[in-house]
Amino acid sequence: MPTTIIKEFCKGCGFCIAYCPKKVYDLSEEMNKKGYRLPRPVRVEDCIECGLCDLYCPDFAILLEKRKKKDRPKGKEGR
Amino acid sequence: MPSGVKPGKYFVQGDEAIAEGAIAAGCRFFAGYPITPSSETSETMARRLPEVGGICLQMEDELASIHSVGAASVGGLKAMTISSGPGISLKLEGLGWGIKNEIPYVVADIQRAGPSNGVATRVGQGDFYTVRYGSAGGNSSLIALSPKSTQEAFDLTIECFNLSEIFRCPVFLLSDETVGHTRELLVIPEETRLNVVKRFKPTVPPEQFAMYPLDTPGVINYPFPNIGEGYGICVSPYTHNSKGYASTAQDIQEKMARRLVFKITENLGRLVRVEKQKMEDAEFAVVAYGGNARPAIAAVDIARESGMKVGFFRPIIVWPFPDGEVLKVAEKVKTILVCELNIDGQLSREVGRAAKGKAEVHHLGSGGVEPHLPAQIFNEIRRLYK
Amino acid sequence: MSTVGDTLQVFHPLVAKYLRKERMPHMACPGCGIGQVVHATLLAIEELGLTPKDTVWVQGVGCNSRITYSTWVGDNVDAHHGRIFAVATGLKMARPDMNFILFTGDGDCGAIGGNHFIHACRRNLDVTAILFNNGIYGMTGGQVAPTSPVGAVTTTTPYGNIEDPFDMCQMAVTAGASYVARWKSTDFKPLVNSIKKGIQVKGLAFIEVLLQCPTNFGRYVLKTSQPQEVLKWIKEHSVNKKDAEKLTAEEIAGKYLLGEFIYRPERSGIVERYQEFLKKYQKE
Repeated sequence: MPTTIIKEFCKGCGFCIAYCPKKVYDLSEEMNKKGYRLPRPVRVEDCIECGLCDLYCPDFAILLEKRKKKDRPKGKEGR
Repeated sequence: MPSGVKPGKYFVQGDEAIAEGAIAAGCRFFAGYPITPSSETSETMARRLPEVGGICLQMEDELASIHSVGAASVGGLKAMTISSGPGISLKLEGLGWGIKNEIPYVVADIQRAGPSNGVATRVGQGDFYTVRYGSAGGNSSLIALSPKSTQEAFDLTIECFNLSEIFRCPVFLLSDETVGHTRELLVIPEETRLNVVKRFKPTVPPEQFAMYPLDTPGVINYPFPNIGEGYGICVSPYTHNSKGYASTAQDIQEKMARRLVFKITENLGRLVRVEKQKMEDAEFAVVAYGGNARPAIAAVDIARESGMKVGFFRPIIVWPFPDGEVLKVAEKVKTILVCELNIDGQLSREVGRAAKGKAEVHHLGSGGVEPHLPAQIFNEIRRLYK
Repeated sequence: MSTVGDTLQVFHPLVAKYLRKERMPHMACPGCGIGQVVHATLLAIEELGLTPKDTVWVQGVGCNSRITYSTWVGDNVDAHHGRIFAVATGLKMARPDMNFILFTGDGDCGAIGGNHFIHACRRNLDVTAILFNNGIYGMTGGQVAPTSPVGAVTTTTPYGNIEDPFDMCQMAVTAGASYVARWKSTDFKPLVNSIKKGIQVKGLAFIEVLLQCPTNFGRYVLKTSQPQEVLKWIKEHSVNKKDAEKLTAEEIAGKYLLGEFIYRPERSGIVERYQEFLKKYQKE
């Protein structure tokens, strides 16, 4: 998964879940120390590395590391 | 840096002398808003500061003036603003920013008759307490110097800048319209004869430097790093810890308050400057400050000629108030007459407090517009003399 | 007191490079747009190659300032409420070689700071000001702002706001700022580009950002605490000015115009004028 969630920065706003164009994330049962329910990438293979989750997150809790094209899963290119 | 000092003899107003003193002290940023009777300083600065590569701005109001002055000091320049009563009231919030963040700069108050707008073009002495206690929230001390002549306006302005760097705080030049508008001799010495204190800079790297020395409240000559010097400084109006990070913790508030008060009160020895005339055998003392000192001195001379043992005492550094010196006077004389240009009694209240009952303290007040006449003061001396 | 930031090993690259880790995570409410605007600012800083050595963050008073103050790894100068432009004037005139990014809010810029804002635009002070317009006073608990919409219920307008909101972009244009633009906090690319353009232009760059305040604007004005609902409201109440040209007056009534309002890099400002002025009048 090219995105990492920094759990202790998450405030549970739900933007990554709501605004991912491929609906990669779901709300999980896991909570961080502050009691916020964390997102979890569930449909990882659908991720197109658009970076919207990284940008939408107001708390720098998601970082996208774009992979080189050759490292991305085959068959699910483009939008 | 170009010095800007122009040695020679001049016949100028006190307001103009303030400008020359500031330039001689290294002031290179001035922001003000026209307000009588201070405008002559702003006008002189507008002519002279560009000559020495300094920045002189007429800002949109009094608040912009003091905030930009504090900021220019954070930016690395010695800076000054000037105003009179109503404008000083407006500046008090900005003053708090300077006090809280320990920013060196100078504010001059050319006092005029008040309250409120009062009489713009005439003298008063009603801001004595304002400059000390007017800024929000207490928990601070303040340094203010008061000149009685054009020469002192020059000399004490330099002293204000020096003290602001030594104590890392805003310092007031508490003048008045009499001194501001009286034209008399000013002697500017050669630059080498002037003592100008340079800003202190850190000698340790940023990670070891405390921007605000809350743990050593009495320390002075403390470094003041500015923006762009690699120290990642944090300046804020809120209570903050020694790094500048805002805090609501009670112990930080306590430390900060003690730092801002003790920095001055633990160094009072550096902050005593008074004038005494004919006090050696005096049994009666006349106390006055600023422009009102001059008729007081004249009245004392008249009293001496009449055979009365009268002396004169003047605080030059008016804040912190010279409690020790006033007590010495009170222990020596039977009566103290404080002559000031306000009816509510401000200097006289401080003198009364510091005298601790050792002498009778009387207040000769006047609403302002005119300074006291020597005859007025002399009549009061005669009435009270024992 | 150490915060979570002290103990983590992994950070967002922008945090790692530009922010003080002991100040993270910042204290914005969940869903607040401030973090998004800070993110855009950091992207602009990175793309332009600005560094903590040459860039100062200047704040006023308000949520935006509380969050950005002492967060930037370089110098931070936080002014009294409304005085940010006066402080910026002193800072920039003392250090014209440095970049200043100002973070201000509806009240800080448009109410108590209105006068200084107008004159900084008039002087075309060479700084970049980002206005965080959330339509309410967030930090103090939800009072009406000069930017609150008509009818807004807030803690100081419990029966609904009867005043019209202030279009600060128009004020900046009229007063003389070199570059003025307005975007939403989620207009990521145009916002980053505007901030970059603003930093690069000589003169005052004023970039207003409409952003969501779920805690106060959401709860009091829109009767929802869901940040996505506030984002939806902002989206429905804004229109790009190019698209607005094709709409009727009724269709754009009550909507914020987004886009660039003016770009006049040729207009000189006080910083360069003063430097020219000194060349003429400095004697020593």
